[in-house]
Amino acid sequence: MESSRLKISVIIKLEPDFSEGNVSYNSDGTLNRAETKSILGPHSAVASMAALHAKVMHGADVSVGTMGPPIAEQALQQSQLLCDADELHLYSDRIFAGADTLATAEVLRTGIDKMHDGEKSDIVFSGHRASDGETGQTGPQTAWKLGYPFFGNVIDFSVDVENRLARVTRLVPIQGLYDVIEEIEAPLPIFITIHPSYKPTFTTVSQRLSFFKCQKEARDRAALYKNYLKTFTAQTLGVDPKLVGLPGSPTIVYRVEKIPRAKTSRMAEIIEGSNQDQIRAVAKKITDMIKVKEI
Amino acid sequence: MEKFDVAIVGGGSAGLAALKQLSNLGKQAVLLESGKAIGSKSISGGILYSKKPKHGRAYNVEDVYGQEFVTEAPLERSITKYILHATSNEKVFSIDLSSAHSYQTNFAYSVLMNKLNTWFAKQAGESAEKYGGGIIPGVHVQSIEWNNGATIVETNELERFQVKAIIAADGVNSEIAELTGARQKFVPEELYQGAKVIIKLPEQIMEQRFNISENDGAAHLFSGDIAQRHIGGGFLYTNRDTISLGGVYHYDSLLEKVVEPYELINKLILNPMVREFVKDEVPQKEEIDKTLPKEEQLRIRFAVSKLIRTWQDLRQSYYSTSGTEDLIKSGKYKTREEIVARLDMIRKDLSSKYRTRFITDYVELEYSAKLVPDGKRCRMKKPNHKNVLFVGDAAGRGIFVGPRIEGINVGIDDAVRAANAISRSLDRNNFDYEYLGGFYAHSVDESPYTRDMKQIDKDYLKIFLNATKDIPKDIIGSRYSMIFKLMSSETFRGLAVGFANILGYDRLLPILESEETYSKVPIELAEKLGKRLTSDYRPSIPSIAERVSKLKYDDDTVSHIKVNKPTSEFMKKMVLLCPTKCYSIEDNQVVLQHEGCIECGTCAPETQWRHPRGEKGISYQYG
Ligand SMILES: Cc1cc2nc3c(=O)[nH]c(=O)nc-3n(C[C@H](O)[C@H](O)[C@H](O)COP(=O)(O)OP(=O)(O)OC[C@H]3O[C@@H](n4cnc5c(N)ncnc54)[C@H](O)[C@@H]3O)c2cc1C
Ligand code: SF4
Repeated sequence: MESSRLKISVIIKLEPDFSEGNVSYNSDGTLNRAETKSILGPHSAVASMAALHAKVMHGADVSVGTMGPPIAEQALQQSQLLCDADELHLYSDRIFAGADTLATAEVLRTGIDKMHDGEKSDIVFSGHRASDGETGQTGPQTAWKLGYPFFGNVIDFSVDVENRLARVTRLVPIQGLYDVIEEIEAPLPIFITIHPSYKPTFTTVSQRLSFFKCQKEARDRAALYKNYLKTFTAQTLGVDPKLVGLPGSPTIVYRVEKIPRAKTSRMAEIIEGSNQDQIRAVAKKITDMIKVKEI
Repeated sequence: MEKFDVAIVGGGSAGLAALKQLSNLGKQAVLLESGKAIGSKSISGGILYSKKPKHGRAYNVEDVYGQEFVTEAPLERSITKYILHATSNEKVFSIDLSSAHSYQTNFAYSVLMNKLNTWFAKQAGESAEKYGGGIIPGVHVQSIEWNNGATIVETNELERFQVKAIIAADGVNSEIAELTGARQKFVPEELYQGAKVIIKLPEQIMEQRFNISENDGAAHLFSGDIAQRHIGGGFLYTNRDTISLGGVYHYDSLLEKVVEPYELINKLILNPMVREFVKDEVPQKEEIDKTLPKEEQLRIRFAVSKLIRTWQDLRQSYYSTSGTEDLIKSGKYKTREEIVARLDMIRKDLSSKYRTRFITDYVELEYSAKLVPDGKRCRMKKPNHKNVLFVGDAAGRGIFVGPRIEGINVGIDDAVRAANAISRSLDRNNFDYEYLGGFYAHSVDESPYTRDMKQIDKDYLKIFLNATKDIPKDIIGSRYSMIFKLMSSETFRGLAVGFANILGYDRLLPILESEETYSKVPIELAEKLGKRLTSDYRPSIPSIAERVSKLKYDDDTVSHIKVNKPTSEFMKKMVLLCPTKCYSIEDNQVVLQHEGCIECGTCAPETQWRHPRGEKGISYQYG
């Protein structure tokens, strides 16, 4: 029998930390993965926040899964800190290596089916795309494999748990010129990729109280995240080896563009002090710059 | 509309105590605090007292939070020394008032409000959760409405909700009091302005300098020329590894002789005794050679800053027993000697490679200011309005008598009384004016603190006079020597105090609190009996711009203050009296720039004054 509690699943990704000071490049300008710190990808973080929103509003059960090397545990922990997950899944096996988006989707689909004690997820959230050279296809492909209706670019959502209906608000780009906002109602289950601009809001006292309670629980849980973690290999997950890793990846990478190392063009000048003359000097610099730009 | 039993407006020490006490009684309450985080808007001197009055009962902090308060709360130091200094230029005459400080006192700790309120919030929040309540920071209550018997709370951030009763703990500049018409805005005659700075000083240096043991602390009060002829004085309290230094001055005396609040602080810092108290070894960066390539200049700048930070942090740990233990436990260093060697090495590097000099100076961390209600003059006679109960600063309650500065403990006592009254009403489902408000007002009237705000305590006076008994009275040239002499006699003191209390405290105040008592007499004492002190360095006092630049703000786009009359004499005085220089004069009109506002309330008497919206405005790190 299906329980009435909302079941939310989130798929996330460990990504290189592109923030200043954390990223490291090889001498040829390509990313030095070994030295670059990895964190929960920013889009995955937004998806995790959406899951928390569902948890606060409806008291949902949240499961988070990722495919990656053992250190991807860290991303799961960071996601749990954001969404107060009840269950964490890591799909980690050498044979998953070299997977393209389709092969990844196969692993994730199998994993999602194992979440919530094998009960069907009502909503699956994923990030808009990954920051490290992904094409934003993992989400839709996983949705396709799950057989769930897919909604991309979602900026807001609400759920009518009793009637098992979701209402999503999404941005639809019109010929790449501007976005229109579209509101759609759909029966559960559904798959949602969350737009980076999404920000959960809590507008009643009860929602705020429950939000803080979840945040606190999330901190306690994330400190002991291993207690919530289940690690699967290809075998324990029960995926068909032909559908995952390199063998399951029809994509052929023809050529990879180097990430050109950003040249520092800034030449900072520091003018110290706070007296009138120094402030005037700063103001002059700024106005001079603007003048140059205008010309 | 959502319904809750109780709403508490304001998460300072008073509001938080109300929440904890209501939860102790098993009642549901939600506390709304406009600051981004609890503790970010409160400031205090501050010494937190626990009292054991001879008559009546005071509800103390440990009654609310349990005995673990003493063992677990982030308390700075147990204040065991309390010394009053009369100053005149280089001369200082000191009177040990430790006995007056410990009068009817269980304990007194120096505290930093941000840390302490965060701890209070953790305790209160966890208890409140059990009964379906809790703490919501970042929410500003903007009005309260009574509609068909329902009490509705309206905020800038959340949907309206309904409650059965409200505790207004929204501080000295209470909007709730004003909005509901429960009381008039406080006027300068009823207020003090307090301003302070936090100064950094390593633990063991502090202990040596103030002659205190590891957990003990000292309070030093100052009157005399440092007051610059205002009514009030300066204070210096030792925290664990910081010093709180500032002044509390009567607002009307500041209006009369207008002076910038930070100038009063600066004057105190320049006193030779204070200079010696706060001094430390401070690295001073050398100008970087401007002929070097720009990139090299930047590299040097970063290297120096990093080394200095490492040196400062390591030194701070080295001078702290627990800090050193932690460093050794972490395996980074094996012995204290290793730490010293490392410190020396960094120091050498800094001086030889980068020509950094190590000079005697002092280090400020945070500047802050706020109005303080003078409970003797402005405590609400009826601290209730409909089903709203006012507590702490919002109710104008605070004891400021001579060297006694108490507001935190008074607010906690109020909070317990308010929570008890509401709990009783909830049990009976009776929120009638008399049953709730009347009961609370009566309870507050019975508080020993209310008595302290109404009359002179002759036992306290006796202890105070005892502390001053060795001062030759005939050296004080004014009429005060006569009063001193007479008061020193037990019989006369009893009679005089009895008579004075009949006459009324209000009428005595102008004599007790005057330029003479706070300035002239201390100056005379210092001149005639004081020791000449010297200090051979000149502290580099930061400018107000530098002080403000260190503060953390989240500026709102719209101003929370609207000036009523930009040409009024009062508003013109704000140009000097605003502690962060938010006011200036253009074309004979006062202009406000709200971005630097630290929400002290000084300009409130002649402005439409509101707190900024939720999460906006100043966020103090120490408080
Ligand atoms: C310089 C100085 C020195 C002092 N020294 C001492 C001392 O040594 N010992 C002592 O006992 N007392 C001292 N006091 C007094 C003491 O600090 C105060 O009495 C005490 O902090 C007041 O606590 P409170 O909870 O009443 O108010 P506050 O701490 O001011 O708290 C009020 C809270 O309400 C919030 N708020 C306001 N309006 C709203 C709204 N509309 N919606 C939501 N939230 C709102 C504010 O953000 C704030 O957090 C000193 C005060 C000063 C300024
Ligand atoms: S603008 Fe008013 S409230 Fe703000 S800091 Fe200045 S005097 Fe205080």
